[in-house]
Parts: sequence; C-alpha cells; structure tokens
Amino acid sequence: STAPPSPLTRGNEEVFPFPEISNEELQEINQFVGPVEKFFAEEVDSKKIDQDAKIPPETLKGLGDLGLFGMQIPEEYGGLGLSNTMYARLGEIISLDGSIAVTLAAHQAIGLKGILITGTDEQKAKYLPKLASGEHIAAFCLTEPGSGSDAASIQTRATLSEDGKHFLLNGSKVWISNGGLASVFTVFARTEIVEKDGQVKDKITAFIVERDFGGVTHGKPEDKLGIRGSNTCEVHFENTKVPVENVLGEVGGGFKVAMNILNSGRFSMGSASAGMIKKLIEMTAEHACTRKQFNKKLSEFGLIQEKFCFMAVKAYVMESMAYLTAGMMDRPGLPDCSVEAAMVKVFSSEGAWACVSEALQILGGLGYMKDYPYERYLRDSRILLIFEGTNEILRMYIALTGMQHAGKILTDKIKEIKKGNIGLAVQELVNKVRDSTGRKVDYGIMEERGGLVHPSLQESGKKLEENVYYFGTTVRGLLTRFGKTIVDEQLALKRVSDIVINLYAMTAAISRASRSISIGLRNHDHDVLLTNIFCTEAYFKNNYALAQLQKYADENLDDYIKKAAKQILEKRAYICSHPLDRTF
Amino acid sequence: MRLSWARAFPLRLWGGCRGPKMRRVTGIEWAARPMCHSSSDAPEPPSDHGSQNTPRDEEQGGPAAFAAALEELERAPGRRLGRLELVAAALAAMPALGVARQLDAYNRLLRLLPRGPWVPRGPLHRLFAPFPRQQECGLQVLEQMERYGVMPDAETRFLLLAVFGPRSRPVRKCQRMLYWLPRMLHANPYPLPAQLPPPGLAAACLGLRRIANDPDARLSVYQQPQPEQGDNEGSTQPYIVGIQSAEQQELLARHGPEHPVFVEGPFPRPPPPRLFYYVLRGDPLPPHLREPPPDPERSLYYPLYLDLDLERGPWDDDEFDVNEVEEGPVFALCMAGTGDQRTLAKWIAGLQQTNPVLGQTPVIFRLGDGDSSAGSPGDGDALHLEGSRAAELEPPEVAWGRRAQGEG
Repeated sequence: STAPPSPLTRGNEEVFPFPEISNEELQEINQFVGPVEKFFAEEVDSKKIDQDAKIPPETLKGLGDLGLFGMQIPEEYGGLGLSNTMYARLGEIISLDGSIAVTLAAHQAIGLKGILITGTDEQKAKYLPKLASGEHIAAFCLTEPGSGSDAASIQTRATLSEDGKHFLLNGSKVWISNGGLASVFTVFARTEIVEKDGQVKDKITAFIVERDFGGVTHGKPEDKLGIRGSNTCEVHFENTKVPVENVLGEVGGGFKVAMNILNSGRFSMGSASAGMIKKLIEMTAEHACTRKQFNKKLSEFGLIQEKFCFMAVKAYVMESMAYLTAGMMDRPGLPDCSVEAAMVKVFSSEGAWACVSEALQILGGLGYMKDYPYERYLRDSRILLIFEGTNEILRMYIALTGMQHAGKILTDKIKEIKKGNIGLAVQELVNKVRDSTGRKVDYGIMEERGGLVHPSLQESGKKLEENVYYFGTTVRGLLTRFGKTIVDEQLALKRVSDIVINLYAMTAAISRASRSISIGLRNHDHDVLLTNIFCTEAYFKNNYALAQLQKYADENLDDYIKKAAKQILEKRAYICSHPLDRTF
Repeated sequence: MRLSWARAFPLRLWGGCRGPKMRRVTGIEWAARPMCHSSSDAPEPPSDHGSQNTPRDEEQGGPAAFAAALEELERAPGRRLGRLELVAAALAAMPALGVARQLDAYNRLLRLLPRGPWVPRGPLHRLFAPFPRQQECGLQVLEQMERYGVMPDAETRFLLLAVFGPRSRPVRKCQRMLYWLPRMLHANPYPLPAQLPPPGLAAACLGLRRIANDPDARLSVYQQPQPEQGDNEGSTQPYIVGIQSAEQQELLARHGPEHPVFVEGPFPRPPPPRLFYYVLRGDPLPPHLREPPPDPERSLYYPLYLDLDLERGPWDDDEFDVNEVEEGPVFALCMAGTGDQRTLAKWIAGLQQTNPVLGQTPVIFRLGDGDSSAGSPGDGDALHLEGSRAAELEPPEVAWGRRAQGEG
C-alpha cells in the first residue's frame, strides 16, 4: 500500500541495530581523544580568542601537531584517515571552542573536501600533504554578494587563455571563512563551454587556486557576533592565472562538485552540538546544585529540573542522529545520506540554540556576564542556524527530496485514481474509513520475539510506527492535491520536513536505546527514559503537524498567515493604528 | 417656554383658524404653532453673509466672513423666526466660503438653534413624528457634514441632544455617523494628500506615483517645464516625467529587440487634478518565450522543480479567473505637458539611457485620444530611435496631419 518516503524507505536493516564500531577502532579513537581534550583544556584560551577576534598562531600550530587539520585525509597523504564516526567523535571535543571548530571545519569539511572527493591523484598528491599538516590552510569560495544559494547569479568569471593552458580568474567572493589565512582556495566560477550540439553555455567550474598564483587579495576580517576568532573576509581575484590541471572534476561540472561538498560535511554538526551541550549541562548542574535561594537549592525547583531534562534529551537525540548518520555513511556501498545529514544539521542547530539559551537562563544574571562563558556559547551557536545552508533552505531540501522520491512511487497510483478507476477508488475509500476509525499499524518493529527493538521501548516503537503510517497517507494526500506545484507551498513543506526530522530523530533514539539496553551499557535505563520522553513529545508534535496538513483543517493557519504577511509587505511596515489613536 | 399640551391645545386651534400672518409672532405663539411653520415668515436674508464679503477677496475672506456672520447672529439671539431657512442658507453658502470641512463652523451653526423647544415631550408625542421640519433641518446639517467627511465630535452630539432630545432622528444619525464615518474615511488604502499640488509638474509626479504604486519605482523628470512655475507653467516647453521600476527594466531587456513596443495614450486619470498618462507596453510574448526554461543547475541547496508527472488537483487550483484577460507587460509610464509625438519621442530617448535595448527595438506610437487601447495601426511609424535626433525626423505638423488623416 502506501510507502512512506525516505529515509524510512531505506528499510529497517539499515537503522536497526544502531551502527557499532569494533573494539580496535574504539581503542584507537580513545587514544586520540585524550591528547585533544588535554590540549583544549589547557592551551586554548577561548575568552582571549573571542576578545581579540584572532586565533593565536601557537594554537594553530598545536592543532596541526595533533593532526587535526587532516582528520579525514587518508594516511598515505599524511592525514589521520579517520572514518566519519571517528571524525564526529573528535568533533565533540573540538566544538568546545566555536572559532577553532569553524576554522577547522572550513578547512577540511568544505575547503579541501573537493580535492578529496573529486580530485585526481596528482592533485591529491600535490596539495593534500601540506594541507594535512596544517602548513597550508584551505578555504571554500562560493558565496558572492549577489549569490547566496542561487548558483545562477555567480559573477566570477574564468576565461581560457589563448594558449589553452591557463584560466584567467576574475571576481570577488564574500564571507569566506579562513579567507585571510588560507593559501589554497576552492573557487567556483563561470566558464563558457561548448556543448555537443554546438550551443555555448555558461556553466560553473570548480578550481583549486593557490595564493601564489598571484592576483589574490583579501579584505579585512569581518567583525562578527560570534565565532569571532574565525577569520571571515572578502577575497578578490584579479586576473589570477589558474593552470588547466587545477580544474576539479570537469570543466562545467562545478555544480555537482559544490553540491557534493556541501552535502557531505553537515552531519558532524550533530555531535559537535551534543558535545557542547554535555559540557554545558556539567557546568550548569554544578551551579544549580550549589546555589541556594529561598533556602532551597536551585536544583529542587521544578522549572530548573525541566530545563536540565530538556538539555539532556536534546543532547541524547543529537548524538544518536549524528552517529547513526555517520555509521550509515561509513557502511560500504550505501547511497548518499545527504538528506539524513541535512536533518541532523537542522535538528542540532535549533536544539543547540535552545539549549544554550536555557543554560544561560539557569544561571540568570551570571549567565549574562562576560566573565562566564555562557554568552560566548550563545553567540557562537547562533551561526549554526545560518551557515552550511540556512535551516529554511534545508527544510525545503529535505521535504522536496522526499516528495520527489514519494512522488515517483505514487504517481501511477494517483493517476489511476484521478482517471476514475472505480475499484481503486473503492479500495481507497475503505482504507480511509479504516484509518479514521483507528487502525492498528504494524511494521514489524515491535514483535514479541525477534523484533528489532527491546520490549521496554514498546510504547515509543508503536508511536513511531503510527506516525510513519499516517505520514505516508498525508504525503499521498498532499501529492494528490498539489502535484509538482508543491514546490511553491513552503508552509506545507515546512511541516512535512518537521515531521520527517522528528521521525528520523525518534528512529535514531529508539535504535540507540535498544542497543544500549540490550548490551547493558552503564545507565541504560536513563537512555530508555530519555527516549520515551522524546518519543512522546515528538509523537504529539507530529500528530499536530499532520492535522494541520489536512485540507480545510482548523489548525491550518497558512492562508491567514499569508494574507497578513501580504498586507504588511505591501506597506513595508506595521500597519495597525496605535492603541491610543482616536477617531473623534 | 414649554406649555403643557392642555394649555397649548386651544392656542393651537386659535392659531390655525387665524391663518398665516405677515407679522412677527411672539414667543408663546411660536411655541404654540410648531406644525404650521410656513416659509412666508420673515426668513433670514442671506445678504447678511454677503455683506461682509464684498470688499475682500473671496477665497481669503470666506472663513472669516462666515465667522463674522455667525458672531453677529450669536450676538442677537432673539430671532425665533426663519431659523430653519437660516440654517439652510448657511449650509448652502458654506462650500463657497470654504468652511465646509471645518467642524467648528457646524458646531457654531448648531448653537444658533434653540435648546429645549424642539424636544418631544413624552413617548406619545414621539409616536407622531414630532417637529418634522426641524428634525429635517438637523438632518441636513449632518448630511452636509457627512458629504464633506467631517466627523461630529462630542460637542456636536451634546448640541444635538440638547436641541432635539435623545432618540430623535438627528441624534440617531449622529450615532450612525460616529460608527460609519471613520470606517468610510479609512476605507481608501491610497488616500490623496490633503493639499493637492496645482496642476503641472508636481501634480504629474504625484499622479504617476499613485498609478505605479510601487515604492521601488524610480521617477525621472526628463524635461523641466519652461517657464518653471506659475500660471503659464510649461507654455514654452512642456514637462516630461516618467516612472519605471527595476522589474520593468528587466522585463524590457528580456522582451528583446525583435518584438516591437508601443507607446499608447493618452489615458485620462479622473480624480482631480485631471491628468493624462502614456504607457510603453509590449504585446504578450508567446508562452515558450515568456519564462526562461527550468535550469536544473540553478539552486545549490534544494530542487526548484520536481520532476513529477502530477498536476495540481482541481480543488486546490485557484489560478483560473474568468475576468482575467491576458495583457502584455507594461514597461514604463509617462505624463507630459503636451501629448504629441515629439514630446513622447523625447521621453523614449530619455528612457534609452537606462534601457539600452530600446535603441534597437522598434517603437510604435499609437496616440489615439481617450481609452482606445487598440489604436488604429496606421497611426505612427516604426521609429528607430538614435538619441534625440529622432525628434527632428518628422516635423510635428506633418505627424498631426497624418494622424488626423488616419483617423478620419
């Protein structure tokens, strides 16, 4: 019958059981974790970095010595050659300082990923060793003043020279992380290519540009709200000579390269945010258990306890999602997990912002002072919702990719119904009646014996199954109503993507908790408790969103919202009269 | 002053038997004959208003004259005759004197009416439509206020209550006005400014901005009128003002030099001041040229087009509207002092500086008169404009002549 859209079409084998790493790998990781934690605890002064808006060169050298500049570069080129899971693990520690985390991420997750993914062997051998040691830093140059997500408005041009050996690069890029420090840039520019049928078109090409090629200048570092230690500036290219061998991928194939790079670096945000929140829970718990007001410790007040539970649940779910995605990506032969990575990014960025805000709230006035690190964490975590694809855009991506997938499966069925196939229509009617009178959904997760999930998670499992089933029917309804014009219905798509993110989060949490209780990890009952709390909350939120997505639903305020927004934007101001105005 | 009905009855009878008299009636009989008030009683001569006017200029002396007249009447309040005619004459004179929009004038006028004698006594009296002409008079005052959009205020309401009593027609009307008038006054989402500029360049700028209704549109004055201001503004050289927004510029650039554009007009714009505007528009493009084909490599983050074979369902399809007619894009608007081809050619030349594509696009002038949106094709020539030399290609007399022949 109805098939729920991806990622749940992946099948239960991929998400249950929770991906594990072998004991040797675990030992290896823990060997890395120790020195890195020590480095961050002792030699990184986050407050000074934030105040000076600069990372001191000794710190950068220390990071390079630890090998953190080449975490995902294979060992033959001098890097650590870590898998995605291990990269996520180290990301938990690095995120303790936001500026360093962003500098490293801009360097390896996007800066040199292009060379890693699409580079030829010569390019890899030429650039990766120096980049791995930290001697050269990489940057990713795509954004321009007129072009944020819109690839069509890129103005930077690369023209082939007469002898055909060089490209001349002209243009300017804006908001480039590591722009001032980097010596290797991955630049995207328009080139003219002649297609097979003779048409001349402007397509985007990716280039590896070294600062030594000449003509590369950068502006002064931008004064930012958070991650002030990271160097963000404009980069200008004036007649920079780029040899033809430095083209990444093929000429005109820059779009795919850009998409692959952007889609592959996102999942680590989950573990990074989780690491930061765990540290925050420690610090705030310390405070809450010692400070006394009204002769009671703060930790005895219900509202404060609720905040701690909220932070713990979010951290747990973020970790689960991040490591599930990393595990799926590490598994050989799996198709790309870009949708899952996008879901991790959206959930983690919003969760991190909410949790840091709550942690600051627990401290009250002290949290607001610069003497304590909470305000720095708050400012640093605000950028998480914006960079690497703004959350709004990623929601559209998640929803539309799912719709595309579901649409392909459901097109035939919907067309049959529209044509008026009586038998099918009757079957649909019967299904609808059974749905509305309550149906028992069983996907096989919760069987008595041989089920995929531990029995103590039965309730959560049932809720997940029910949500998945009704989500499937709702998606079918949406496609019948809107068809391919659903691209324009952003408010409906936002709800769809919220539901999908919640479903994936529930899956990840249930999977991890099931593993935890099955093998008997320490505090496994706490795992189960957090999972049940999260699943219940997400279940209700999903039901509400599903109710909003029905046609003529009372909960659906989309039309009113659009009408109000239209009136406001027409006058470009708030249009109500002042409350004190009179007519006579 | 108010007699009870028992004592008023015989007086009323006596007054009715006697018939109308050409003399001033005393106070008691005035109260005794409310129903048979005839217009032959000495009315207030309207010359009272005019007497103050003559030596001064009408416009400036208007409100002052009215105020002076009212003061005179307030000083001598003894007249009980002809109050209704007085009010009617005052209402008629107010627009000419320029006080029709001042609430204060109406309040002072209402203060001249007696308070008390016209209040019906009891529900039985109210049953029989008491004081019809007096209440009509009050209604007339309020109607004029409504016509000119003047909101009654608390003082007006107080006066009406005192003069006519509660639950009388003027007071009811006042209540209704207090409810509806603010709504009506705020109903126009594009209200005209209080002071309209004199007809000329300023009025044309205001008119163009209202037609375009786009805060992003840029208004450019292509030619200042010579002489600049005054009564004979623009007599030597007419003004040319044009407006165009950035989207229109893009549309024009995309319209392409193969398809001609038309200058059409003049279209009248009725609300004062009376202006005429000209439009630069093109025919609607055939569907395959209208929007650029979907580019799969446009957005880096999410698919802009879904590759599905499903259309929007019929219950959700709000796009079809029978009244909507397919119209071509409008590229720019213009208002000019005179509507001849030479002036408009200067406008096109000015537009060319911001829209270089106009240099290669043929521009056809369809200058009919009135709202002929499909002008006769034989009107204008396809001009290839290069700068302002085009204006000298054809002397205006020849163009006028040809147009007259084309229409005739």
